[in-house]
Amino acid sequence: MAGPSWDTSRYLTLFGGEATEHLEALGKDVVALERGATVALVDSMFRHAHSVKGMASSMAFEGTAKLAHLLEDLLGTLRADVARADAAVADVILQTVDALGLHVKAAVASEPLPDHGALVTKLSELNAALAGKPPPVAPSAPTPTPVSQPEPARPVAAPGPSADASAPPRFSLKLKINPASNQPGVRGFLAYKRLSTLGNVFDLKPPLDDVKAGRVPQGTITLELESDQTEEAITRTMRTVADVELESISLLVKAAPPPPPSSESDPNRVVGQEPARTIRVRTEVMDQFLDQAGELLLATSRVRELTRSVPQAQRPALDEAVNRLHLLVKGLHDKVMEARMTPIAVITDRLPRAARDIARRRNREVELIITGEDIELDRAIVDELADPVLHLLRNAIDHGLETPEERKAGNKPPRGKVTIAVRRQRDRVVFELSDDGRGVDVERVKALVVERGLLTADHLQTLTERETLMLLCLPGFSTARDITDISGRGVGLDAVRRAVDQVGGTLEIETTPGRGTTFRLSLPLTVAVVNLLLVGVGDEVYGLPIGKVGGVVETARERLSMSQNAPVLQFGQSVLPVHELSALLEVPPDVQPPALVPFVVVDGDDGRLALAVDRLLGQREVVLKGLSKPLDLVAGLAGVTILGNGQPVFILDVARLVTA
Amino acid sequence: MAKKVLVVDDSVFMRDIIKDIFAAGGFTVVGEAGNGVEAVEKYKELKPDLVTMDLVMPYRNGIDATREILRGDNKALVVMCSALGQETMVMEAIEAGAVDFIVKPPRAEDVLAVVKKVLGEA
Repeated sequence: MAGPSWDTSRYLTLFGGEATEHLEALGKDVVALERGATVALVDSMFRHAHSVKGMASSMAFEGTAKLAHLLEDLLGTLRADVARADAAVADVILQTVDALGLHVKAAVASEPLPDHGALVTKLSELNAALAGKPPPVAPSAPTPTPVSQPEPARPVAAPGPSADASAPPRFSLKLKINPASNQPGVRGFLAYKRLSTLGNVFDLKPPLDDVKAGRVPQGTITLELESDQTEEAITRTMRTVADVELESISLLVKAAPPPPPSSESDPNRVVGQEPARTIRVRTEVMDQFLDQAGELLLATSRVRELTRSVPQAQRPALDEAVNRLHLLVKGLHDKVMEARMTPIAVITDRLPRAARDIARRRNREVELIITGEDIELDRAIVDELADPVLHLLRNAIDHGLETPEERKAGNKPPRGKVTIAVRRQRDRVVFELSDDGRGVDVERVKALVVERGLLTADHLQTLTERETLMLLCLPGFSTARDITDISGRGVGLDAVRRAVDQVGGTLEIETTPGRGTTFRLSLPLTVAVVNLLLVGVGDEVYGLPIGKVGGVVETARERLSMSQNAPVLQFGQSVLPVHELSALLEVPPDVQPPALVPFVVVDGDDGRLALAVDRLLGQREVVLKGLSKPLDLVAGLAGVTILGNGQPVFILDVARLVTA
Repeated sequence: MAKKVLVVDDSVFMRDIIKDIFAAGGFTVVGEAGNGVEAVEKYKELKPDLVTMDLVMPYRNGIDATREILRGDNKALVVMCSALGQETMVMEAIEAGAVDFIVKPPRAEDVLAVVKKVLGEA
């Protein structure tokens, strides 16, 4: 920061006196704080620290200003939860007040300022701990402020360019924010507000949230202004906004008046409302965008990791830059993800017709009810689900529903009902397809599984009802008594399950004899970001999708039970087969295995199993990258990601790992 | 005639710096206030052409004071004084009706440029 542009020595005495007063008052507040913290008290402390910071930075005492700033940050955090102001926190605050006192004394005596590097670190760490987030957020960073308060929707969302002849004229404006401006976001916002007083603003680019956050490429803002003011008056008004230049203004040609509304006009069209502006983008281009944005995110983590090895003195500025970079890249990634979101209607829209055709061919009567089809998912997931969903519908009508005669005999209405309900559940989308048909005959499923040699009768005994129903998804299984041309070729449900797995979802089946069956798909909103449990085997690190992990048990190998000469792990009520991950992956395990081995319980195709690993390395949210050839042919690998330290990590496809 | 300015800041030190900047720039500082309550009173009493308003102050912060001043005089020109990192508060103040802002530590040329712009003198 440039030094002040005046002779500061004139203010030195004043600075010394007033800063000391603030610090003394702050000291008194700390003592009061130990007797009982209140928001008012923390507020008062915050103001004192803030004043000292402002004065110190005006005097170009950067070290003092920084210390005061960190104290201000800490108090800002405390304000949110004053109960956390315990004796230890009070100690650190007092230390900081004392240190600031020494600074002020040295400053007044024109001596060099004492160094308080350790205290700076302590303050940052304490603040991070209290705020419950990773340290350190760069102090005094002009961070793109996430403005969460809802913007009054009026100007941008106001009725659009009504071509009504009586509508005020519309101007196209191009503004340029001075690149030297300290706070371009606020500058842009100010210009926007000023223009809003003259009329209605449309088509603001970048959007207001971006402007406010300072995300204004090249400092250029374009917008349209509908206003009764003259061009000259608008220009004059813009001249009163410092650091924002009106580069151009032009009157837009008025659109032709609309045809008079007729009774045939689209009832959905709201008069004067601007239609959503859309462009078509090839899906590959969207994929490439996402890929690149993901790469950027990974590269940023890598840079952040590298900054850790930089000397402390250079850290704050670097952290500030990296934090800003990270926010920008994250913002870009989010936007790309958002652009890929597609309503599930894309696949459900064709189902009513399909249901009718299937029902007619199979002599069924069916009513299909679809709700929640406007819920959006990543396009990749929607694409992946199209066939599986159609298959589930076929199954429901073909196998689930009885014929009208059978239904009448069972006191049911002759027309069967298939319901598709889609809903958001936290960060997932639940897709349910239910029929009110005959339900799955679980005993028959068991009999067929044994008959076809898919499982032994002994093994069946150990399965829960949920697991037994999942047998429907075994490859090569079908309960249809006859193979029809519609379904029942035995490639059905296992393909559904595979597709759901592939996008990181889970499949559950519920059935009640005589009442019907429900297939429930729980799907992530996006495929590209996954939560991993990182595990170490020998020198290698692998990722297991958290969605597949049922729990972890740490125990000694000797304490495992044996069943049919194979180790098994007691997990809750069940007994799970144990696999050595090192053996499955054919990598050498640790030479000295840990005394307590972590066993990760995961969902496999045939129910749960336990994977023995050498180390647990924590959870991580990562950007998933697909595997390129020839790695995509390796069974058991679902993808790859790159950790912040640059290390590539393979993500395991648990189900295929064991069967491969 | 020199324009009249009211300087609001809880720091005497900061007020002195700002007052000196205005004096050097040919403005008349007609009064000063150390908190938001005082600011509202002084505004009514002195009817200045422009106010510089600190954001963080005891009793009544700069945003509330700005709102109150504008309630009494919707033509009031209030310029916020903020530190880096207070962007959200500044935007709130602009939302409340502040016409511009200057960033602390105040630099004479920046302050005068903003103020002259706001007063339509630039």
